[in-house]
Amino acid sequence: MQLIQVSLKVNGKKYQLETPPNRTLLEVLREDLRLTAAKDGCSSGECGACTVLMDGKAVNSCLVLIGSADGHSIETVEGLHKTGAPHPLQKAFVEKGAVQCGFCTPGVLMAAKALLDQNPDPDEEQIRMALAGNLCRCTGYTKIIEAVQEAAKELHHE
Amino acid sequence: MSENTLIGKPEIRVDAWPKVTGQAEYVADFSLEDVHFGYIVRSPHPHASIRRIDPFKTLQMEGVLDVITIEDVPGEKMVGDIIPDRPVLAWEKVRLVGEPIAIVVAISKHIAEQGGKAVEVEYQPLVPVFDPVQALEEGAPRVHASGNLVSHIEVQDGDTQAGFQQADMILEETFHVPRIYPGYLEPEAAQAQWNPDGSLTVWVSSQKPFHDRHLICQALALPEEKVIVRVATVGGAFGGKEDSSLAILAALAAWKTKTTVRLVNTREESLLAHPKRHSGQVHYKAGFKKDGTLVAMQITSYLDTGAYASYGPAVGQLHSEVLGGPYKVPNVRVDTYVVYTNSPIAGAMRGFGAPQANFGTESLMDIAAGKLGIHPIELRRKNIWRPGDRSYTRVRINQAESLQLSLDVAEKEYWRLKNIPPAPGKVSGVGLSLSVQTMGLGYRVPDDSAHALEWLPDGRVRLYLGAPELGQGLMTVAAQITADALGLSLNQIEIALLDTSQVPDGGVSCASRMTYSVGNAAMTASRQLIQALIKEAARLLDIEPALLHYEKGHIIRQDRPDLAPIPASEITSRLAENGQILKRQAVFSFPYGPETPDHLPIGMPHVLFCFGAHVIRVEVDVELGTVEPKEIVAIHDVGKIINRATLEGQVEGAISMGLGYALLEEMKLKPDGTWVDNLTEYLLPTIMDMPPVIKVIFLEVPEESGPHGAKGIGEMGLTPVASAVANAIYDATGVRVKAIPIRPEMIIKEK
Repeated sequence: MQLIQVSLKVNGKKYQLETPPNRTLLEVLREDLRLTAAKDGCSSGECGACTVLMDGKAVNSCLVLIGSADGHSIETVEGLHKTGAPHPLQKAFVEKGAVQCGFCTPGVLMAAKALLDQNPDPDEEQIRMALAGNLCRCTGYTKIIEAVQEAAKELHHE
Repeated sequence: MSENTLIGKPEIRVDAWPKVTGQAEYVADFSLEDVHFGYIVRSPHPHASIRRIDPFKTLQMEGVLDVITIEDVPGEKMVGDIIPDRPVLAWEKVRLVGEPIAIVVAISKHIAEQGGKAVEVEYQPLVPVFDPVQALEEGAPRVHASGNLVSHIEVQDGDTQAGFQQADMILEETFHVPRIYPGYLEPEAAQAQWNPDGSLTVWVSSQKPFHDRHLICQALALPEEKVIVRVATVGGAFGGKEDSSLAILAALAAWKTKTTVRLVNTREESLLAHPKRHSGQVHYKAGFKKDGTLVAMQITSYLDTGAYASYGPAVGQLHSEVLGGPYKVPNVRVDTYVVYTNSPIAGAMRGFGAPQANFGTESLMDIAAGKLGIHPIELRRKNIWRPGDRSYTRVRINQAESLQLSLDVAEKEYWRLKNIPPAPGKVSGVGLSLSVQTMGLGYRVPDDSAHALEWLPDGRVRLYLGAPELGQGLMTVAAQITADALGLSLNQIEIALLDTSQVPDGGVSCASRMTYSVGNAAMTASRQLIQALIKEAARLLDIEPALLHYEKGHIIRQDRPDLAPIPASEITSRLAENGQILKRQAVFSFPYGPETPDHLPIGMPHVLFCFGAHVIRVEVDVELGTVEPKEIVAIHDVGKIINRATLEGQVEGAISMGLGYALLEEMKLKPDGTWVDNLTEYLLPTIMDMPPVIKVIFLEVPEESGPHGAKGIGEMGLTPVASAVANAIYDATGVRVKAIPIRPEMIIKEK
């Protein structure tokens, strides 16, 4: 299979890659860049565990063919605390007990970040809508909602 | 006695930061050195003879190392959790869709998959059977040569015939419950490494690393010292990861190819091939007196364990123990049939037979209440176990008073919710159910949990936790109890990697037993560690141990109160200089008293119970048949709160799983003969499915054998949800549903 050239900006860092075209952004992130925070829970866009931001929008990276990520800017959980201090979402998830097994957590965090970047003061319904594509089997979502509300509050104070 | 500084404190989880930063490593997140990729060739048929397995074409492919079949298994070819009925790899015949037949090992994931598709397997399809009742009929297709009945569990107490004669009303009802998927977000995964000395190191996502090791050794005919099992971060389990099959297959592939092999299931493989909750049907005949007194019950239950027994016989037993609910029933007959079919395997799943029983029994109580003209709460109050009562398994009920308490709290919540008006165009109703869940593995099943503590030279204490964290918060609760017992802060406790060559056997993380067992073992080990520290300090100081006193990580000389307390690190670092370590191990064995009846099978009876009640308010659109849970109040007696946030997390998560059971989930055979095998058709509850209000109320009636009085919470939050939803729907609409998941057409059709 012919390889294609792809350039990506991931968490602010530029990458030039050569890859077969039939791979997904998730595979490239996990296998080539060794950024394994985004998880493969279903490979078909059903669970949301692979959610990352592409140009600020939450996407299921398992549904993004690598060619269509070419030239785009990607954010993953690994980039959330790059300035040294944790992101308010990370802090709130820890403090509110919104993390159990943690497998869905990176995807939920990124979906929540996409929301708060767009809408710094979401109501509960907007939080639910933003996270509707992220399955969590452990928490029952209650503490996830509380954590996003808490993070929004903290971002307001900043 | 240490001060209760940490118990009940909302300490943050010790594993939370690695999980929110992406640093926590699940099995699929790392690759061992020189890793190869495995692809499992699986059966497309639910029931077929295998005529031929031909790997020739695959073996010619570049990049393929090997194709492994049953002939490569050097040890036991059949393994199992209770009954060794399951081939490591199928030969002769397949009994379910997704059954493993061969493993292709290759240098890349892609080549392994291509190679897998090139393995030729010739099948002769056989007639399958999917219904447990049909499977028991004469002439039914035989799933196993031994017949389709796995086990028949009988419980008899009193005289049911005489009991029914006393009854003023006899009720007969049948309830159906679906096969459901544990639905952990992390699909099963394992990586196994062959070491040049002939040993194997196997990384797993598992609830039971020591059992995994045992089964790997059985299949590979290796002594246990040759196999090390290590548990990576586990992405949820819920009973489903009490299945060792992927660990065994990875170990086999590594052993045969003398390399490192990685196996990661797709969601489809996980859905098809790994254990589910038993589906089934439960028939009740129940006799009541006019005043509501329950006088007799005769219950017959059929549980479909699928193609292999897995934990089916034990699930059937626990199911049989709780079919009568938390009620005093003087005359009882229970017959539970655990049956093989060609459905996906059913095994352990959160609740372990209790949710199926609860849906039937707690629906039945409401039906009976309606017919008797007694309020459902009053009917329950009339019949619940009271202190001193015994169950029909002849076990004296621990803390029966917490049932009464749960019901009292539930009653207040019930009337509060009844007063909330429905939204325009909807009708609303409130349902209540009681919950009974057992703790531990049951009588005469070895139920020990060993854990160890080591005081490190730097003064911190390392906890060798012998059972895996699954996401439920075990590490945090264990660290909290240990830190509290040693008078240290939580960050002075570090938790060792779970490696079967390094930690003692803590048993399986299951059965609502971990806080209880681990907490008790940690407290004992802490006491022993303190004594050992005092002894070593006395030796180093050359004085009598009696002159020394321990407090908060320090040794104090009682004869010289003017001297500064000696930090533990000063003693342990001196020991380290001489190559000595300070370590103590403690085992907690589940207590079974002299009164425990032994006329029942192994695993029966359970002797400790957890109680609670759920009250659920729903709104129903009677034209569309849609049901919206609006508020759920969960009342649970936990004995003692160790960490409120993790406890609430357990209950809230269990409620969402219970709502899925009630309204959404079913591992269904579609009309085209294929199973639901993706999360678009198999619906797990999303954030949109959760009610606006969930209120969790904890009662603390101390269990005297528990650590600080604590008992289990892992399962019981799920158990009463489906029946409470069904009872609420009846209250709202007058429609009684007798099957779950409750679908809109069931409500419309009945209307």
